[in-house]
Amino acid sequence: MQRFFAQSRSVKSSWVAGVALVFILLPHFMPNGYWLRIYTVTGIWVMLALGLNVVAGFAGLFDLSYIAFFGIGGYTFALLSSNQLGIHLPFLVVLPLAAFLTMGVGFALGSTSLRLKGDYLAIVTLAFAEIFKLMLLNLETPVNITGGVNGIYGFDPINLFGLKVRSPVAYSYLIWFFAFLVTFGTYRLKNSRYGRGWEALREDELAAEAIGVNTTKMKLMAFAIGAFVAGTAGVLFASLQNSVFPNNFDFPQLVIVYCMVILGGLGNIPGVIAGAILLSILPEFLREYGAYRMMSYGLILIILMALRPQGLLGEIGFLSKKKKRPDKDETGRLRASTELYYENGKVVPISRERKPVYAKTDKIALEVKGVTQDFGGVRALDNLSLVVHEREILSIIGPNGAGKTTLFNLISGIYRPTEGRILFEGQEISGLKPHKIVSIGIVRTFQNLRLFSKMTVMDNAKVGRFCRTKAGPISILFHLPRHVKEEKETEEKAREVLGLFGTRLTGYRFNQQAIFLSYANRRRLEIARTLMTDARLLLLDEPSAGMNPQETKEITEFVKFLRDTYGYTILLIEHKLDVVREISDRVIALDYGVKIAEGSYRDVANNEKVVEAYLGRKGHGKRAGLKI
Amino acid sequence: MIQGLILPGQDMHLFLLELPQQLVNGLTLGGVYALIAIGYTMVYGILGMLNFAHGEIYMIGGFTGWWVLHLLSRNHQVFMNSAAVIFLMIILAMIVSSFVGVLTERFAYRPLRNAPRINLLLSALGVSIFLRNFVLNYQGAKARTFYVSSLIPKGLQIIHVGPVVISFMRILVIILTFLMMGLLTLMIKRTKAGKAMRATAQDLEMATFLGIDVDRIIVMVFIIGSALGGAAGVLVGLLFTQVDYYVGFQAGLKGFTAAVLGGIGSIPGAMLGGVLLGLCESLAVIFLPSEYKDVVTFVILVIVLIVKPTGLLGEKVPEKV
Repeated sequence: MQRFFAQSRSVKSSWVAGVALVFILLPHFMPNGYWLRIYTVTGIWVMLALGLNVVAGFAGLFDLSYIAFFGIGGYTFALLSSNQLGIHLPFLVVLPLAAFLTMGVGFALGSTSLRLKGDYLAIVTLAFAEIFKLMLLNLETPVNITGGVNGIYGFDPINLFGLKVRSPVAYSYLIWFFAFLVTFGTYRLKNSRYGRGWEALREDELAAEAIGVNTTKMKLMAFAIGAFVAGTAGVLFASLQNSVFPNNFDFPQLVIVYCMVILGGLGNIPGVIAGAILLSILPEFLREYGAYRMMSYGLILIILMALRPQGLLGEIGFLSKKKKRPDKDETGRLRASTELYYENGKVVPISRERKPVYAKTDKIALEVKGVTQDFGGVRALDNLSLVVHEREILSIIGPNGAGKTTLFNLISGIYRPTEGRILFEGQEISGLKPHKIVSIGIVRTFQNLRLFSKMTVMDNAKVGRFCRTKAGPISILFHLPRHVKEEKETEEKAREVLGLFGTRLTGYRFNQQAIFLSYANRRRLEIARTLMTDARLLLLDEPSAGMNPQETKEITEFVKFLRDTYGYTILLIEHKLDVVREISDRVIALDYGVKIAEGSYRDVANNEKVVEAYLGRKGHGKRAGLKI
Repeated sequence: MIQGLILPGQDMHLFLLELPQQLVNGLTLGGVYALIAIGYTMVYGILGMLNFAHGEIYMIGGFTGWWVLHLLSRNHQVFMNSAAVIFLMIILAMIVSSFVGVLTERFAYRPLRNAPRINLLLSALGVSIFLRNFVLNYQGAKARTFYVSSLIPKGLQIIHVGPVVISFMRILVIILTFLMMGLLTLMIKRTKAGKAMRATAQDLEMATFLGIDVDRIIVMVFIIGSALGGAAGVLVGLLFTQVDYYVGFQAGLKGFTAAVLGGIGSIPGAMLGGVLLGLCESLAVIFLPSEYKDVVTFVILVIVLIVKPTGLLGEKVPEKV
């Protein structure tokens, strides 16, 4: 499907024409009215499954109120175009009204419950769906609104600019038309900053937030978009059935939609469509086993989760792109990994077109003022104060548990300090959310690597651009100039940044999943991802951890190169003292959350307290100083 | 909705009249909720997952109890000692429920222990749907009635304490629930297995390193949680005399709400949460028509989650970075 988007306009339009022709003809080939109806209802299921795919597949939110949104759409239509309340609004008014109303409800529910993690979210949304059903059942007294168990029936026929939709064939056109719009829309969303933001959020929420993705907003967006689609489907369903009942929008329906999405593979659009079609048609052949239908849905979920969590249709050849194997030569033999690293046996030098221009200044960039952090009874940082100057490379050393990573967590906004303030370029940043801090200009890496391992190298880098791009859903869905321009810029920037590491992250590796990279390359990619954010201060948490001496040397030079050539301010946690000596303008040593030494590498390394912190009390060990 | 609404200001007398009665009802209901909540909280404490199927385990307990009673009675009259019948109902329900619970763990959760969370939740959802519809297919959709009147001597069925009417069953249920909770607390606090459970709940990996057979502990947790859930199913059957294939859904939500209210992962929290939830619901019935009783539960759940997501007795654990 990615190939589809890469094709030229004329090929594309002939594809579209072909598919349209098939769907114009299909209803006429249905053997009877019964099958035509199944065909039409399948269109509704496809819409529902694709909408849920945005919430559960893209964003990974376990939303159990989804079917209530379907119901809200259906009942809104029922109330606004029937004799129930005596309101008869035209379809073209009711449809957007219902869809936006549902979206509003989704938004409201989302904003109260999205602070909750997975399971809690599931239960609150389940509770909401139950309340909704109770309302439908009980709002018939004292004023009859929903009609209780009997539902509402007899709606105004759909009138599209004088064209009345009455015949089953007309309905099939109308519903499949919307199913196409939803398919198209979800594709566009998937291949946009939103799609990448959701994928990052699904894989690692904390890392997504720390790289600048507004995770709360993205979750809300997924919720709202899912609700919008479900609401629209609800209107169409109500009109098709010409009635609505509470049990049209009940738990079993929810389970069916979930099974469709799971069967197709969470997030996989063609898979989900296939799943929806399969589960709409298959039960028709198994009529006599009807009683076992729901039971088998339960089994499908259990078995799929245990054996094929990526979905039955997840990796079938014709649905996903054929993967090239650049790590193998023409005969299929594995190429040596060094051959791949250093193309043609040469170490590719880091491109340095620009001469070193930047050096340390005396302007204060970051100021940490009397920061204390308590975890229960443990004081991880105790009244710590420090400054980082602009374009300075400042290293933080200290034994394990000294509070180095806690300091990073505080600066990057993952924790809120118990006491004290943190200022960046004069602006208070303590208490801000991590993504906000990224957009202000501070970004971090993680000690134990938090890449989005199932995303490609390219997409990992592009996620870093999230906080600098602004395109909203309308821009993305209609490919407005803003989206197109930002996408182009993001792509160019990603190529440039990944190119800084020679050929290690470029070429075929653009489309390789991050999980397949070597350890050193993953570290490089994590740094590249931070460079995408245009932050001015980089917090690097042990960038050389796990690297061999050659790679360590390279990454050390690279960090220096970032400051010298691009003018980044760098705050570094590092255990390898060779690295610290090589690049630091200044070094701070921490122990038990307290600053025990500060100054040049030589001063700090010879400081008595530092030696003591690392090696124990003087006199107990033989060595009295660190090797300089 | 308006018709059933009684405001305390308008009719304080009626309110005061109903209060003690509803307190007793609340305590009974609360004890049952607490038993269900314990199952949720124990599994959550160790595996960090929401066991969606727990409500179904409760329902299966209820059905087992019904079958025991059904097989031991003729023309709705038990032909054995009533105490023995009640004992058998509870014990067999506990055995069957824990058997189902262990099977669930073995086949639906254990293969997914290292999988993403959403997969585990979906698997749990699958188990819940499977069990519910399994019972629907083999036991039918019709509610089963517990004919309990012959279990209790005639003179003891209803006891009047001033204006309050208490049925013998309620007293029995209150005693049994609190007895079970007490035993569980002792077991967790005093025994070696209880200590191993607490250790596993704190840090599963570390517990493995210290020689605790974590798989066994997890199975044990499922046995205890499911057994208590099954017992709750029987007790509710004895109280309200009905069970059908769908009761697990509501009961599951109630139990979960109770667990969250008390602080999920905390066993005393689950007990406290259960009792509080039962009391809240019963008191709400004084003011609201009973169809909206369940809405009260969900409103409580949402408020707790938003105001204090860690619950009354839960602890906040900072995320490791």
